Amino acid sequence: MDFNPCMKHQVVRKTVREFAENEIGPHAASLDREGRFPTEIIEKMGPLNYFGLQVPPSLGGAGLDTISYAIVIEELSRVCAALGLCVSVHNSVGLYPILRFGTDEQIARFVPDMAAGKHIGAFCLTEANAGSDAGGVETTAAKTEEGYTINGTKIFVTNGGVCDVVLVFAVDAGGKEQSRPNVFIVEKTCPGFSVGEIEDLCGMRANPVSSLFFEDCRIPETNLLGKPGQGLKIGLTALDTGRIGIAAQALGIAQAAFEAALSYAKERQQFNSPLTKFQTIQNYLADMATSIESSRMLLYRAAAAKDKGGDFGAQAAMAKLSCSATARTVTDLAVQIHGGYGYSREYDVERYFREAKVTQIYEGTSEVQKMVIARHLITRPS
Amino acid sequence: MENNTLDIIVCIKQVPMVSELPWNSKTGTLKRELAQGMMDPASRLALEAGLRLQRAGQSQDRRIRVTALTMGPPMAEEVLHQAVSLGADHGILLTDRKMAGADTNLTSFILGRYIRMFKPDTGLVLCGAQTSDSETAQVGPQLACELDFPAIGWASDIRLTQNALVVTRLVDDFMETLEMDLPGLVTIDLGAFVPRYAGLAGVAQAFASPKIDVVDADDLELDRNFNALEDSPTRILDVFSPATQKESRVLKGAAKTVVDQLFADYGKIISSAMGKDLKKK
Ligand SMILES: Cc1cc2nc3c(=O)[nH]c(=O)nc-3n(C[C@H](O)[C@H](O)[C@H](O)COP(=O)(O)OP(=O)(O)OC[C@H]3O[C@@H](n4cnc5c(N)ncnc54)[C@H](O)[C@@H]3O)c2cc1C
Repeated sequence: MDFNPCMKHQVVRKTVREFAENEIGPHAASLDREGRFPTEIIEKMGPLNYFGLQVPPSLGGAGLDTISYAIVIEELSRVCAALGLCVSVHNSVGLYPILRFGTDEQIARFVPDMAAGKHIGAFCLTEANAGSDAGGVETTAAKTEEGYTINGTKIFVTNGGVCDVVLVFAVDAGGKEQSRPNVFIVEKTCPGFSVGEIEDLCGMRANPVSSLFFEDCRIPETNLLGKPGQGLKIGLTALDTGRIGIAAQALGIAQAAFEAALSYAKERQQFNSPLTKFQTIQNYLADMATSIESSRMLLYRAAAAKDKGGDFGAQAAMAKLSCSATARTVTDLAVQIHGGYGYSREYDVERYFREAKVTQIYEGTSEVQKMVIARHLITRPS
Repeated sequence: MENNTLDIIVCIKQVPMVSELPWNSKTGTLKRELAQGMMDPASRLALEAGLRLQRAGQSQDRRIRVTALTMGPPMAEEVLHQAVSLGADHGILLTDRKMAGADTNLTSFILGRYIRMFKPDTGLVLCGAQTSDSETAQVGPQLACELDFPAIGWASDIRLTQNALVVTRLVDDFMETLEMDLPGLVTIDLGAFVPRYAGLAGVAQAFASPKIDVVDADDLELDRNFNALEDSPTRILDVFSPATQKESRVLKGAAKTVVDQLFADYGKIISSAMGKDLKKK
């Protein structure tokens, strides 16, 4: 067992950090304030393979392993979590299911443009009455002669305002009550597809999270992903992978908050000494660092388990549960260490604090992660 | 230069990432052992210059191979992987305990020995003008002496013609254009180019099929007793941060008087910062 990062992972980290600090960092605060999605930065990231992280090079991707993938999301989110979210969702729950469950024709049709960042992906499971309970999906798909007609409204779609290709969960129209959902690939050019208002969110404001409307939305028959009735399996597989991305995002936010707090504590003087001289502050810093390091271990272990093959779902859930909790406590302490300044928009920790919370909600709330972990514990052979 | 092929060697140093380096205020030295390594910024621009020639060569049906060369501890291999990620064709790491502690003189000697022994057909050597950690600007010119190559320092742009290299450099406030026969050596000035970012496919590829060769003292047939630390003719006796004395002056009076006085007292500093003499129309 070697806990040191290998040279490849170090180079991946340095490569992303350099790009993120130079090209994204100077704009992160204003993007958040203006709630603006930075198309101009996305255009720079496309040719550098950020939108095809684990896509094979033959399809125009980077062909990275999953630990590298986690490092990329972590480093992007350390600088701008809203962009980290965009890249994570696009790669994991937007693109990966097509690679994994798509036909050769679907892969050839959708993957190269998505991997190049020309087409942004999204994933639509959540509805007004279907959140944690994916079985509550009410959006319907009716089989027609030409293909399928989809009707329904999806909410809280990350990348919704800028997506080109979306995966939509829908049940059979007029079918049996317990119809199992299917996943459909819908392009924004399909008739009957439209984008709702951008959500006014607490954090992640540079990501155009929105509702999507499907009104008699017609798609060709070849846009059904996987076999009929396979939707839940595709969804769960996508979310297992996605959780590694969200865990990495949470870790990146925590890391940024910790670095900001440490440097502030060294500089800020009270009672004639820097904050770092006070034992309480030292304890905060020690707790923050310990929490970050232990979450990081869980994250990389889950990522390594995915690369090995086999079931990594429980490990991914543990990583997400731990990293998102770390993000919450670390950003909270980072604001505390900054005192009043930490509550001001002038300092980045206020943004980190707002961003951290949602990592405990999307792609399965913390409560849901515990259900996943517990199911694994209870059902595995002893 | 043999017909349509040009072999370029880019000398790259791994330097400590100073922004992240703790500074020992008692001894006034950097705690290098805690440093993360990075590619020296000027070396990176030398690589960029080489990669631009490589790309220009493609459109002219010219085969231009770029080899990244570094001497350093085993961890310096990282900058070679970065160079390959960015587009270099391969990398060479010169590493051996006997090479540790080399001053600029012995560094140039070792780099030159490698090139003469293993890459005798090299047409162009590119170096950063000076490294961010020692700022001597000596390795490039000394290496040219080792190789008996003509050399041009502090280039801001280079361009290949059929038989030669056209080099642009900024001298004081003038741009100078020179032509040099190849083989030759050029050092690239900071600010010459905006270097490209590495793509993640490039990084994955660099590690999927490593293109790094490791060369030690035996390969270079260095003397059995060779010891760079002891044999180096120059030694650093002390590195310290001199105490600077900041003095503030408040200029008073009408705007015109104040500006005139400002230029009278500080005109030289201001004009060199702005790139032209502001006093002359
Ligand atoms: C910024 C943002 C981006 C998002 N992006 C996407 C996206 O791209 N695609 C997408 O499909 N969705 C997305 N979502 C939706 C997100 O995944 C859901 O909000 C989340 O799954 C929770 O569903 P819900 O909001 O309906 O909460 P509910 O399911 O109503 O849960 C409410 C509370 O009850 C708890 N709870 C529910 N069931 C149980 C149970 N059985 N046992 C214990 N506790 C339970 C939950 O943990 C939670 O605390 C996004 C949300 C946000 C805020």
